[in-house]
Amino acid sequence: MDFTLPDEHRMIREEVRRFCDEEIEPIAQEIEDEHRFPEEIFDQLADLDVMGVPISEEYGGLGGDTLMYAVVAEELGRVSGSVALSYVAHTSLASKPIELFGTEAQKERWLTPLASGEYLGGWALTEPSSGSDASDMDTTAEKSEARSASERSGAAAEKDGDEWVLNGTKQFITNANVAGSVLVKAVTDPGEGYGGISTFIVDPEEDDGFEVTTVWDKMGLNASPTCEIKLTDVRVPEDRMLGERGDGWEQTKKTLDGGRISIAAISTGLAQGAYEAAKEYSTEREQFGQPISKFDAIRDKVVDMDRKIERARLLTHKSAWQYDQGQSVTRSSSLAKLDASEAAREVAEEAVQTLGGYGYTEDFSPQRFYRDAKLMEIGEGTSEIQHLVIGRELGL
Amino acid sequence: MKVLVTVKEVAAVEDEFQIAGTSIDETYLEYDLNEWDDYAVEEAVQLQEAGIADEVVAVTIGPERSEETIRMALAKGADRAVRIWDDALEGADLLDVGAKTAILEKVVEEEDPDIVLSGVQADDDGFGATGVSLADALGYEWAAVVNHLDQDSVESGTASVRRELEGGVEELTDVELPAVLTIQTGINEPRYASLRGIRQAQRKEIAPKTLGDLGLDAAAVENELELTDMYEPETESDATYFEGGPDEAAGQLADLLREKGVGAQ
Ligand SMILES: Cc1cc2nc3c(=O)[nH]c(=O)nc-3n(C[C@H](O)[C@H](O)[C@H](O)COP(=O)(O)OP(=O)(O)OC[C@H]3O[C@@H](n4cnc5c(N)ncnc54)[C@H](O)[C@@H]3O)c2cc1C
Repeated sequence: MDFTLPDEHRMIREEVRRFCDEEIEPIAQEIEDEHRFPEEIFDQLADLDVMGVPISEEYGGLGGDTLMYAVVAEELGRVSGSVALSYVAHTSLASKPIELFGTEAQKERWLTPLASGEYLGGWALTEPSSGSDASDMDTTAEKSEARSASERSGAAAEKDGDEWVLNGTKQFITNANVAGSVLVKAVTDPGEGYGGISTFIVDPEEDDGFEVTTVWDKMGLNASPTCEIKLTDVRVPEDRMLGERGDGWEQTKKTLDGGRISIAAISTGLAQGAYEAAKEYSTEREQFGQPISKFDAIRDKVVDMDRKIERARLLTHKSAWQYDQGQSVTRSSSLAKLDASEAAREVAEEAVQTLGGYGYTEDFSPQRFYRDAKLMEIGEGTSEIQHLVIGRELGL
Repeated sequence: MKVLVTVKEVAAVEDEFQIAGTSIDETYLEYDLNEWDDYAVEEAVQLQEAGIADEVVAVTIGPERSEETIRMALAKGADRAVRIWDDALEGADLLDVGAKTAILEKVVEEEDPDIVLSGVQADDDGFGATGVSLADALGYEWAAVVNHLDQDSVESGTASVRRELEGGVEELTDVELPAVLTIQTGINEPRYASLRGIRQAQRKEIAPKTLGDLGLDAAAVENELELTDMYEPETESDATYFEGGPDEAAGQLADLLREKGVGAQ
């Protein structure tokens, strides 16, 4: 059993960290204050081949493994939760499914620009009235010729050759307003339950009827756009369906298996960033004539941070490794996500406390990590849902 | 055209460290590519990208551990690397300029480059002499502290360079190739290694060589230098606050600078 990262991964971590420290960290608070998506950062990340780490080289990716991807996501999280979140939504949610489920032609058309970083991607599952219970969605996709065949009332069916017509509202969609493609989940076969959902590749620029109706102001992560989108008679040709009709839910489960690893990795990074800030401060700040790290109370906080981060990282790397071995990761990725997201919130909170009043100001990073960490317990399945998943895996 | 870049892994100490005798324990050290060499590598890679150089070779003197650092030069675009190490070098706590020159001279003779780029100095021992000493040993022309290189000139067999002299004076010089240029920071903007570059670098060659492989024996690298002591110098800080309006403060500042010798020719 070898716990050391391979040389290649270490070198990548080192260089990505250097980039993050020099290019992202200095603007990390500013982009939050301005609620600004840092396009220039993503252009640079594209130049450095970061935007397609776990995607095969054939389609413009780096051809790296999931462990490498987790290492990169952690480094981004260590300086900016926003950059990291937009990055993993782009990679795990918007790109990976096309690689896993797309046809050759779809990969060439839709995956290559994503993996090479020409533009970002989004993934739209959640709806205003369907979150944790994600399969209970209202967005529909109807085949154009369906109208004459069925006389269902209220159905937005149309008759017009080989097209699908999408209607509905999607909620909290990361990157939707900056994306070159969004994978939209929609019901194609009402009444079929899990088997009635399909996935469509939508082009926000070219496809009429795609509208970003809200960009949310949030507790944190404000440089990563979270959008409400409205689909009104969005017509897409047949070849925009990803995989088979009715595969949408199975794809979602597989997508989230990998997605959870990436959220765990970001969480580890957020915790690491908060820990570093707290550790440094604790050795410099003096009260009662000594560095505050010399007080048991503060030392214990920093030690606990170290313990939690180590645990989160081990779980994350283990799950990434299992993914790379082709093993099932439902349990391990869920455990990693549950643990790392909690660790991130706890570590960030204690980092704020370690900095005292300064920790509460925006001049110091712990408050940012604290805000950002909270989302990790919500997105891609809340902690409550992770308990549900793990409980099921344990046969409870 | 072939470019040889001399690179070195240097140790930097962490904020808090302890000196034991004449060395600092490994736990306080972080290794990195020498800053000046990073610029030299960039300059070489730019020559290659401009189609002027067709091969960039990095050479280093260092233990196996240094491969990780040297590989960064490969990740940024160098084609291959040569790494010299030997039991005879293991014991020395300081490798002097003469020893480095002797080794690098042999490598240059083997590789026969058109141009050798080295850093002005190394961050750790800071002799600032290896490049020029190497040129002298080889009978090459040289230019030290180069902060601009006219790439087109290189193609015609003469390197037109700008050198940084003392006191903010700069000099334009033409140097016949083959030559050694010692590269100053700021000559370019070193790139980040792309992840693809890093992955490709894993497969690039770093050829290990011993002194014997170069036709040298231990006597060739015998040191004239001995490390006798190591300590942290006392740091002194001296702050002066100027009172009064801008005019007054500027006057006081000018007096002080004059007093300290700034502006004196
Ligand atoms: C910043 C951000 C980015 C996002 N990005 C995307 C994206 O790119 N694409 C996308 O599709 N979605 C995205 N989401 C949506 C996110 O995945 C959902 O918000 C999340 O799954 C929770 O759904 P919900 O908000 O509807 O909460 P609800 O499902 O309504 O949950 C409310 C509360 O009830 C609890 N609860 C619900 N069901 C159960 C149960 N069975 N047992 C116990 N407790 C339960 C939940 O845990 C939670 O505490 C994003 C959200 C945010 C905030």
